Amino acid sequence: MLVFAASDKGGTGRSVTSANLAYHRALDGDDVCYLDFDFGSPTAPAVFDLPDVLAEAEGKGLHSYLKGKTGEPLRVDVWARTEHPVLRTRPSGSGRLVLLPGDRTGGEFVTDEENLHRCVDLVLRLKREFDVIVVDLSAGRSYAMDLALAATVPRSALARITTRWLVYHRWTRQHVMAAAELVSGKQGIVRAGVAMGHDETALSGSIRFVRAAVPDLQSPLWSQARPEQSVWMHERDRQLEAMAAGLGIGKTRALASIPLEPVLQWREQLITYEDVVDSRVANLETWQAMGDLAQRLGDDKYWGQL
Amino acid sequence: MGAQESTPRPVRPVLACGEVRTCLLPTRDAVDERAAEALLRLRADERVRVSRRPNRCAVSPDVLTGIDCRLPTANGAKVRAIGTVAARAVLTEGRVLQSTAYFAAPAEGPDGRRPWGYYLVRPGLLVPVGRLPAPAVAEGFLAGHRQGELDVGSVAESLLARISRAPLLDYDTPLNTASTVLRWSARPAPADGEPSLRFTVGEEGLRTVALRLPEGTAPAAVAGLCEDLALHDWLLTTVGDKLDGVRLGTDDQAAVRKVLGPLVDHLLHLWMPRARLERVLAGLWDALEEAPGFTRQWDALAQRIRDQLALRALLARREALDARLTTR
Amino acid sequence: MKGSLPEEETSFRETSAEPHTASVPFSHLSLELGHLYMEDFAEGPDRLRRHFAAVRPWADAVRAGVGPLPEGRRPRISTCFLVDDYFSRLATPAELLPPLLAAAREAGLTIDYLARESGCAAPDPAHPGSAPLAESVLHRLVESPPPGSTGYRPPVGRTGWLTNGRRTPSRRTSAALDASDVWQPPSETLARGHSVFMDVELFSGTEEDRTWSCAFLASVWQLARLGLLRDNGRAVLTPAPWDPAAFPADWDALPPVVRLTPDAAPFTAYGTCSVLPGRFLPVEHAVRVVLDQVQLEPDVLDQAARRSEAEGYPLPGGVVERTSYVFPPGL
Repeated sequence: MLVFAASDKGGTGRSVTSANLAYHRALDGDDVCYLDFDFGSPTAPAVFDLPDVLAEAEGKGLHSYLKGKTGEPLRVDVWARTEHPVLRTRPSGSGRLVLLPGDRTGGEFVTDEENLHRCVDLVLRLKREFDVIVVDLSAGRSYAMDLALAATVPRSALARITTRWLVYHRWTRQHVMAAAELVSGKQGIVRAGVAMGHDETALSGSIRFVRAAVPDLQSPLWSQARPEQSVWMHERDRQLEAMAAGLGIGKTRALASIPLEPVLQWREQLITYEDVVDSRVANLETWQAMGDLAQRLGDDKYWGQL
Repeated sequence: MGAQESTPRPVRPVLACGEVRTCLLPTRDAVDERAAEALLRLRADERVRVSRRPNRCAVSPDVLTGIDCRLPTANGAKVRAIGTVAARAVLTEGRVLQSTAYFAAPAEGPDGRRPWGYYLVRPGLLVPVGRLPAPAVAEGFLAGHRQGELDVGSVAESLLARISRAPLLDYDTPLNTASTVLRWSARPAPADGEPSLRFTVGEEGLRTVALRLPEGTAPAAVAGLCEDLALHDWLLTTVGDKLDGVRLGTDDQAAVRKVLGPLVDHLLHLWMPRARLERVLAGLWDALEEAPGFTRQWDALAQRIRDQLALRALLARREALDARLTTR
Repeated sequence: MKGSLPEEETSFRETSAEPHTASVPFSHLSLELGHLYMEDFAEGPDRLRRHFAAVRPWADAVRAGVGPLPEGRRPRISTCFLVDDYFSRLATPAELLPPLLAAAREAGLTIDYLARESGCAAPDPAHPGSAPLAESVLHRLVESPPPGSTGYRPPVGRTGWLTNGRRTPSRRTSAALDASDVWQPPSETLARGHSVFMDVELFSGTEEDRTWSCAFLASVWQLARLGLLRDNGRAVLTPAPWDPAAFPADWDALPPVVRLTPDAAPFTAYGTCSVLPGRFLPVEHAVRVVLDQVQLEPDVLDQAARRSEAEGYPLPGGVVERTSYVFPPGL
């Protein structure tokens, strides 16, 4: 399965949630690879705790590969290389978890035939080895996104691989509106895809939303609020839900809702089970939500035209 | 029409090098002979060679890639070479796909680049500018190329990519497998010495093979030997990895079946070393059979899989029986 | 006891695993008596007469120039003419060909072999299911590598263009982030001091609906005359005998190459010479760029080389050197 992670704005938790998603799929036994297409600001090495990789990827990362400067993009075995104390012991029964980092100084670039071909070849090659390929795109309608759309049109060799799009947004008025615009707007994913040759029904059926950093009003963090605050918050939440539904990104199209997680406010990282049960710095709900997201990604019941 | 050299004088290569990439064909089931031919038909006017004995094997025509760059050398010596690298694809039993890129090189060449036609009538030959330090290149090649040096692996990979785009591949593979890279170099054996083979297992799927062969061994024959080595090494690696990953002691029958089933269905019957080798080259396999003992290891792995399946079948039957007895 | 048995007793062979290459007959020279566009034909018989009158003295000079041959050997020379029925079909063969042959005859020239340009583009009708010749040749292109080519480069099939050197790099990277993005001139590989860079369009359109370029079909035509093409080992464009008095009304009813002179020397030859109007010079320059980068089957090249050597008429190794041209004034 090929998964594209997109968002309209930065700071939506797209990269960190996608990395956690990859981690959960690997824990469940899938062979997973994570491609950092966030041209310009690669964050994946930090999330996976791979401090040396940023420098190592210089000239050997995905940008260099797509530009034709190197034939072999760098691959990093996360279990073997991470400095995260928990991740270093690969759990038995888990699948492979491999990062293909971007170059630090890669920046955006215009897509052309050649790097489109290279992108297709790379994904086909990875598909032989991995169950799930997660591609983290930069925020907004980026060149990376155009590349992803162009590479997956029905006449492409990638069309035979199940492709799913996750659009991340925070749970605020502005973010909900921006996410809806990113998908259905004039400059949105669907219109752009159709112009390239995608089938509108199929493409929009392969897009789901992921709500990130959602305040869980039942959680201890918020339930201590004054009654006035609580009423106000519940009312806003209800209004937001109604607005989302009106924009076509209501509950049925939301694949998962990731609660606001204090740990992630401080540091973009993988949330491990040990963080939840041993050190207890992270919330169990976060762990569960990431797990739900990972499970639903592969469950056809949650996909297709609604 | 000038009376000049009409056919290239046969050159004695003093070096042959290549790289084999081995992977599972990305399809649910092994493909039949017709599909194999369609996949490997790299040229409209040249057919795919198909052989059915002792196993089904299809070999594509060679395709060439033009090269003009420095060769990797172990001692840092700068050697420019011009010519072509040949590449071909092999599909064994419609299931395992290999792509090999290889070249041979003579001891010396002209002082500068000749017109391209000179190189085209010498397919698969890289002609050095000046003298070729064969031992340094053989060693440097196995160690890997640096920026700006000959990149034979990319030639093999792009052939693999070209075949991988074929519409008849469904990408619904029965099991995930990593590809392996086997890089080889071959030089003539010393006048008084025996042919020899040194096989090294490196990191991240890289294997290297250093060969010393009888003078006059055809580069394509060496490529054949190395494809055979690469195929069997890939089988050992893949089956070994899969057994490593599965907790055989567990009660999770489904998980075990998910791994063992495809191995039996798709890989266990592929073991057939020395299937199409010239005698001299087949003899080199014997050394590998003694140490580390390729076939011995394979037999052990295969036996372990069969035992596991037999044991599980037995347990399943016992449980069914017990269940029937208790309900009675 | 390995290796002690005689080879024959133990060998096992599969015919499907072994290639076989058919041989073709060779003249010394294939002489092409000009090439015309359909519009030239439309100008009428006078235009054709002027054409062949201008070709005649040069054709004679070319015939006289074949050799040197061993004592007592006479040169085998066949003449041919290629009709463009690929890019346009203004008239039928029955309308177009008799005046053409008559005009040649008037100038004292005989057209031994007549060929249709679509024969170079389509599969051979004699072998249904065979590959179109142009496609076969396309698959045989091996780009001449500019210095610095390490093996990591996209194949020619992706672009549909072929050069004699290095193109000016495309400016696809965003300038702000890539300091190396400055204009560089194209260059000819093996240029003598300064470059004459050429970029040849091989075809246009998609893979399913491809239009081959004139230059590329002309390259196929040269290779066919040189007897260097095969389809799965079989000979291609084998001339079919034809009665010049009975041309059909449909181009497709005419075999790709017909022999009009029953006792003509073979169509395929060790070398070619084409007498062409000067306006074809750029096309033929492109042909040379293509021929310089076609990799032919070693068996096929060997056949030609061995046969010519045995006749005391050794061939140049490069295919390009086996072609020659005359661009006469007033053509």
